[in-house]
Order: sequence, then C-alpha cells, then structure tokens
Amino acid sequence: MYKIEIKTKENFRDARGEYYLYEIISMGFDNVKKVKYCPLYIIKGDISDGEAEIIARQLLIDEITEDYSIKKENEILSPIKVGGAIEVWYKKGVTDTVAQSVQKAVKDLGIDKKIEVNTGHKYYLFGDISDEDLALMAEKLFANTLIQGYEIENHALQRN
Amino acid sequence: MKLKTTHCKEIDILNLSDKELLDLSKNNVLSLSLEEMKTIQDYYKNLKRNPTDIEIETIAQTWSEHCKHKTLTGIIDYLEISPQKKIHKQYNNLLKETIFKATMELKKKWCLSVFEDNAGIIDFDDKNAIAFKVETHNHPSALEPYGGSATGIGGVIRDILGVGLGAKPLANTDVFCFGKPNTPPKKVPNGMHHPKRIIGGVVSGVRDYGNRMGIPTVNGSVYFDDGYMANPLVFCGTMGIIPKNKIAKKTRAGDLVLVAGGRTGRDGIHGATFSSVELNKESDVSAVQIGNPIVEKKVLDAMLKARDLNLYRAVTDCGAGGLSSAVGELGENTGVEIDLKKVPLKYDGLRAWEIWISEAQERMVFAVPPKNKEKIIEIFAKENVEAVFIGVFTKDKKLKISYDGDLIADMDMSFLHKGVPKITRRAICEIKNEFEQKTIKMNSSEILKSLKKVLEDLNVCSKEWIIRQYDHEVQGQTIIKPLQGNNIEVSGPGDAAVIFPYTVVKGTKKAIVLSNGLNPEYGKINAYKMAASAIEEAIRNAVCVGGNIEKISLLDNFCWGNTDKEEILGSLIRAAKACYDFSKSFSIPFISGKDSLHNEYSIGQKKYSIPPALLISAMGVIENVSNTLTMPFKKEKNKVFILGLTRNELGGSVFSKINSIKDGVVPNVYPKESKPIMKKIYQAINKSLIESCHDISDGGLAAAVSEMAFSAGIGVKIDIDKVKIKGKMSPAEILFSQSNGRFVVEVDAKNEKKFRSLFKGTVFSQVGLTGGKDVVFESVKNKIKVMENPKKLMSSWQKTLQDI
Repeated sequence: MYKIEIKTKENFRDARGEYYLYEIISMGFDNVKKVKYCPLYIIKGDISDGEAEIIARQLLIDEITEDYSIKKENEILSPIKVGGAIEVWYKKGVTDTVAQSVQKAVKDLGIDKKIEVNTGHKYYLFGDISDEDLALMAEKLFANTLIQGYEIENHALQRN
Repeated sequence: MKLKTTHCKEIDILNLSDKELLDLSKNNVLSLSLEEMKTIQDYYKNLKRNPTDIEIETIAQTWSEHCKHKTLTGIIDYLEISPQKKIHKQYNNLLKETIFKATMELKKKWCLSVFEDNAGIIDFDDKNAIAFKVETHNHPSALEPYGGSATGIGGVIRDILGVGLGAKPLANTDVFCFGKPNTPPKKVPNGMHHPKRIIGGVVSGVRDYGNRMGIPTVNGSVYFDDGYMANPLVFCGTMGIIPKNKIAKKTRAGDLVLVAGGRTGRDGIHGATFSSVELNKESDVSAVQIGNPIVEKKVLDAMLKARDLNLYRAVTDCGAGGLSSAVGELGENTGVEIDLKKVPLKYDGLRAWEIWISEAQERMVFAVPPKNKEKIIEIFAKENVEAVFIGVFTKDKKLKISYDGDLIADMDMSFLHKGVPKITRRAICEIKNEFEQKTIKMNSSEILKSLKKVLEDLNVCSKEWIIRQYDHEVQGQTIIKPLQGNNIEVSGPGDAAVIFPYTVVKGTKKAIVLSNGLNPEYGKINAYKMAASAIEEAIRNAVCVGGNIEKISLLDNFCWGNTDKEEILGSLIRAAKACYDFSKSFSIPFISGKDSLHNEYSIGQKKYSIPPALLISAMGVIENVSNTLTMPFKKEKNKVFILGLTRNELGGSVFSKINSIKDGVVPNVYPKESKPIMKKIYQAINKSLIESCHDISDGGLAAAVSEMAFSAGIGVKIDIDKVKIKGKMSPAEILFSQSNGRFVVEVDAKNEKKFRSLFKGTVFSQVGLTGGKDVVFESVKNKIKVMENPKKLMSSWQKTLQDI
C-alpha cells in the first residue's frame, strides 16, 4: 500500500486552503492562521516503489506547482507539525469517481496491474486549536459524515 | 416453473394481520399503505404462494409516489370554502382533470409528445423537435448537497437521452430554493447542514456535472426563505433536440435487454427513505448517489451514434427504482425475462433485489433487435462504455427474473403497473379575502432607501456568484445569456436564455427560448395566484427576449409539503386549477411535469412543511434568431414606455416584506389584458420597433427600470404620474407594486409613431426618457423626486451575495 500526499509548492497559491481559511474564520475560529490543503491517494496492489513514483509524478501532480511525498505501509511520514490536521476519507461503499479515473489512468500509463485506489483530503490547520474545535470544523466544514469519515491529529496540544 | 430461494428470501405475507402488514411495510422501507399491502396479499393469495423479497421490492418501487404519482392521479374529495360560498368537488384524477386536460383541449398540432415519455416534445422545424424536462432532487441534496445536486442534473440529462430514441442535450437550467445564507448557526436544526454549506455544495454539484458534460447551464433562479432551511429545493432541467423520426419507440417481443453505462452498486437503495442515524462508520453507505459525468458523457456520445444507425427500438433511463422501473417500463406491454447475474457490478456481495432496485447512476436500458447485437456492443466499446445484455423481452406480459438459473420473481405486468389501488384523500381550502394595505406614505429619501433594500434583497440581488461558475457558453450556441450588460463593467439580470442550435440544425434561423417563473411568497397567501403569477412570469420572461406566445410550452414542477394534511393538499388543488385556467386562457399548453410531495422536516418534535413552490418552466421556438432582445437600455434619449396596468398589488411583494407591511392584495393575472400586449411585443420586436424590453416582477417597476439603467450604465428619468394605474395609489405603491402583465420597453423616437399605433387598444403610456447621469423617479403632483447614480444602484444589487 502506498499513501501519496500532494502539496502545493511554497511559492504557489493554495486556493483551496485559502477558501477553507475564509470559511473557518467566518465560522468564528480566529485562532486558525493558515490552512494548507493536500489531496491524498491510497494505492493498494502489487506495484513497485518505482511504479508508485511514476504514478505520483506523471499522473497525480502538476510538476510545476505541486510536490508529493509517498509513504509505504507502516512507514510514518514526518507530518507538518504546526497545529491540527484533519484527514477526510470516503466511507466504504461510496462511489469514488476520482479513484475510478486514477485506476483507469494508471492502466493507460502502461502499468497493467490490478490495483485499488482511494482518494482523500488532508487539511493542515496552523494555530493552537483544541480537539473539540477540530472535530467541529471537520463535521461542519471538511467532511459530510453521511458519506465521509475523518481523523484528527493535533500537534498543537502535544507541544503544550 | 417454481421459484427458488437460494438467491432471495420468501416473505411471509399470506397469514399476516393488518398490523403485521403495516409493520412489514415500515420495517423494509417499502412506504406502502395498508390498503396497498392488502392488495398485494390478495394477489399472492390467488397465486397460493408467498412473494419473494425481490417481488415485494419491485412492487414497492413501481407503486411508489415517485413513479406512480398516486396523490395527483388518485381520488380527492375537495372542499373549498370562501367567504362567499362553499364548493364541494370530487377529483378522480387531478392531473387529468386540470393540467393534462388543458393540453388536450388546446389541441396544439405542434405538441408532439406530452405527458407520456421522459420529457415533453414540441415541434422545432420540419425535421427536428425539441424536448424539455425539469426534475427535482430535494432530499438527496439536503443530505449530501454536492452529490445530490450533481445526480439531479445527471438524472434529468438522462431523461432527455431517454426521451423517444434519445435527444441531444443543448442546455441545462437550474432553480434552487434555499434557507438564508446568513442564518445564525444556532437556528439550524440538529443534524442538518447550514444553508451556506448546502448552497455551496448544490451549486458546485450542478456546476461540475453540467460543465463536464459539455452542456451549458443557461437559465435559472434562486429563492431564499427560512422555510427551505432544512429542506432545500433543487430543480434541474435539460432541453434537447431530436429528429422527428426518432420520437416513437416500441419494444417488441424478442428484443434483447441491454444495459449500458455505469456499473451497479448499492447506491441509492431506498434512497428517499433512509435515515442518517442508521449509518455508522462501518456500515456500507448505500443510500447516497454519487454522479460521474465522464461516464454519462461517453454514454451520450455512444448512444446517439447507435440511435442514428437505428440499432435499437426503445430506450429509457435508470432513474428512481433503477432497473426495476426502467426494464418494467420498457416491457410493460410485452413481458420480460431478466438474468440479474449478468448485470455488471461495482463490487461483490449485492443481493439480487439490491441489484434490481439500485439507483446507481449513469445507466440506460435499451431494447435491441437480436440482429444488431454485435454492432451495438461494438459502438459502445469504441466509446469505452460497458454494455451488457441482461435479458429478453417476451410476449407473455410477465416479469420473470432469474439469478444464476434460479427463477426468483414471476409476476403479471398488469398487476405491477395497473394493480395499485386508488387512494381517496380529502382536501380542504379556505380562501380568505385579501385587503389592501393602509396607504403607504413615503418621502423621497424613504423611497430611495426602499429601492436599495429591494435591490439588495436576496431574492432580487445579483446571482453572479452562482451564474459565473457555470459554463453558459459551451457548444457555442447561447445567444441570449443570463447576465446582460452594455460593457464589461455593468451587468443586469436577463429575462430568459436563447439557444441558437446552428451546429445541430445546419442552416437554421430558428432559436429556442427557455425561461421560468416562481414565487413561493405569493403561495403563502394564495396558492391560486401564485400558480397564475408563475405561469405568466415564465411566459413574460420568454416574450421579453423575443418569444412568440403562439409557440410556447410549459412544464410544471410542484414541490409541496405533506399532502396527507387536508389543507396542504387543498392548496395544491388550487394551484393545479390555476394551471388549467391560465393554460387555457393564454392558450399555452403544458407538455410535461413532475411533483415532489411530502417535503416535510422536523425540528425537535415538531414537523414543518415547506412553503409550497410551483416552478413553471417555459420553452418556446423563435422563428428568427436575429429578432431577439436583451434587457439593458441601448442608448440615451430613447423613450421609455410601460405596457400594462399597475394595480395596488403589494401582497407578498419584496417591498412589503422588507418594510413589514401587513395586508396587501397578491397580484392577479388578467390574460385578456396581458395576452394582446405579449402578442404585440413579438410583432414589435420582429418589426424592430423596440430596443430593449424587461419584465416587471419582484421589486416592481422601480427595480425593473433600475436594472435596465445600471446594466446599460446610463441614467433614466421616469415620471411616476404618467404610469397607468387602477384606482388611487401613492408613489411608493406605484413604484413597488408587483402587478403582473407589465413590461418596461425602450423605443427609439423615430419608431414612436409606429409603436403607438401597433399597441393601440392596450393599456400603455410613455413614462420617461433614457439618458442623464442619474436614475430619477419623479412625481411633481406628490412632490417626490428619487435620484441615484446607476452605479450605486448596481452596487446595491451586486453586493449581497458577494459579501457572503
């Protein structure tokens, strides 16, 4: 299993992050200073490290504005330790159309192996935010809990 | 052949008591009444066996309100009480006795298919016809706004693909009713999304699906009211073009059943009735439908190719009820045998009945003559569309379903489609007298303040934030667009959209106009006048851009509260009656429609019904695309006329709402006055006697004139004393009354004489001149002079949704 995280490069605009920051502030959370948005992909199947790199670079990112990091199963990727982070994934059984397109595109890349893809979203929230507030933001803004589940990481509190 | 239960369950029904029958219906989310359950029990008593789960589910789907419109086609015992009299009447089929009846009586030769197929079809030219359909997707959009609205538009596009042998979609429309975006979060009921989240999700859902399908979204409207906070309304429409020789479809025994497009999963099983509480992290999320426009686009391209090669005899889309409804519909008059094992699945583990009723998206079902078997698969394969034969149409008028060789359902088509017992409902409507409000006395600065507030009002303000997200240009045929202005810095709200289908119909000069009318505020007071006003507003909007009322057709979409309540069903009947009356008096037929009843939500223990909403959508044919108009004033020193009579009708108006004015008469419709005016506008446009034309509706003539001025970036001076009025009215009442049947038109001085002689016999007057740097409304008689720079008025109109 490979988990691929896409980041907007520092000198480019992260429009989705900006949008969510605006929404969070209008919800009344002025302790959030910045939001960084990162799309996530999980690819399961019999592919090699090199193939995972090819998929990330040639298919999932725009090389000019974006960068990626790949994590293998059980491998811990050093997260951005800045505050809170929320990961959002579809629940089992929900049609994931982007994942279907990725699966097809991987075949078109010439990697003809049986794979399974899931797509998710990660939001890094810069600032000191409580777990309760992160959960509230997740439910009111980032995830529709009817079809999506979420997980919270809170580095702000660990630091304290 | 005996049924086997390896792949299904036998449902014991033969020995159940009334209470147990009802429990069975409730526990299995069948939504069937006791009478219906007993009818099913009797049917199986005759067969001397119990039904299987898939049989019961099939009946529940086929007999659902969504598919059979039981309320509108059932028996209604109606009592109408007005201060003057009581009327008691029984309707045996409300739809047939009102809306449909008007169409039958009007006998328009250019109506080619009405109320029978997936969409209404009218004549376009000698070779082509146009089809239009509007659907609602309310409940799914409340729960998952993005997926709900996306599958709403995806579904109505499939209605157009599934009309006749398939029409090519040319344009989408969308109309929404939402709670207010600035609602304090605490006011939002528990477990519901905030209106702002619903709005964002719904708009992006329609945007992503429509844009990715390559279909322009050209017309719509948005209405905000607290009553839609927990139950938004999402109306999605599609218009398409179809060769006249592809309208008729008929399945024949021996034809093969082909399913093409998306795979089947647990999507949308019992979609309308599930509760979010039942869902937890581990459970499969079966009720939510997610759309995939890329798949649907491929289906569209492939099927139109197959259509033109005459490879199939009938087609329909998989909508509510999934394969069960689609296959049932195509095989109603023949019979059909299906092997469910052959249906391509998204994942393993689906039970047979789930495959049968799944509402997975992007699927179409075809009846294919065996000789075309290979050819049609080849065409779908070329477009990368999965297409699989799953059965054959028979001649025994039976529905037989097998799985892996076992027969699991064996039912009579006639019972399935005609067996549903008619329900009798009671309805009551109490008509109250409406009274004029106390005379409104306002000075000039109060009037200006009201004008700005009217322009800022959520239901009048610019919807640019939404409109600009939609591609309204793709296909390159949108001639009259939703936002109109004389330069890039100014814009105003267009009345209707015009599509010029020159890439499909080579050499044509003809065009298609699309418009809509909706005003739930009137419905809170008077459902009859709401329906009448919505009908006229839709027609007026079409007329403003150059539509010909001799060739306009209408669609109805009823979204009502819980019609089990007598007074709510009563208001629905009043609205349906208005549809008959005004369809007849304007001589404009309804060609299709849809209803969504039971729009009810709870806050705590209390249940609330939504404010009733009747959306009227209009589609018309314009003979010459050159003779179309936009609404901004075109130049200075042109004469401004108001056509039609202004009455003291402020009931349900925007002005009354913002100034908390009690009483007021809801605008009525006077076809004898407005119809001749609309006919003459068409003639005037075709003789080039009019430079611009705008409908007077929300916000009255003050708002309409302001919009024409600021979208042109020029001033205008209006003499309030010259407006033709009925009775006595104060300047504020004249400026903000929402009387129907009125238009503001701009006429070049050189055409004035011809214009006046054309309109002779109707009520109209010259009220002012374009030009100057300000928008001015003056009444010397009342010492009123309201003056404002058009840019400032435009910024009032533009800022509301920008700030959110």
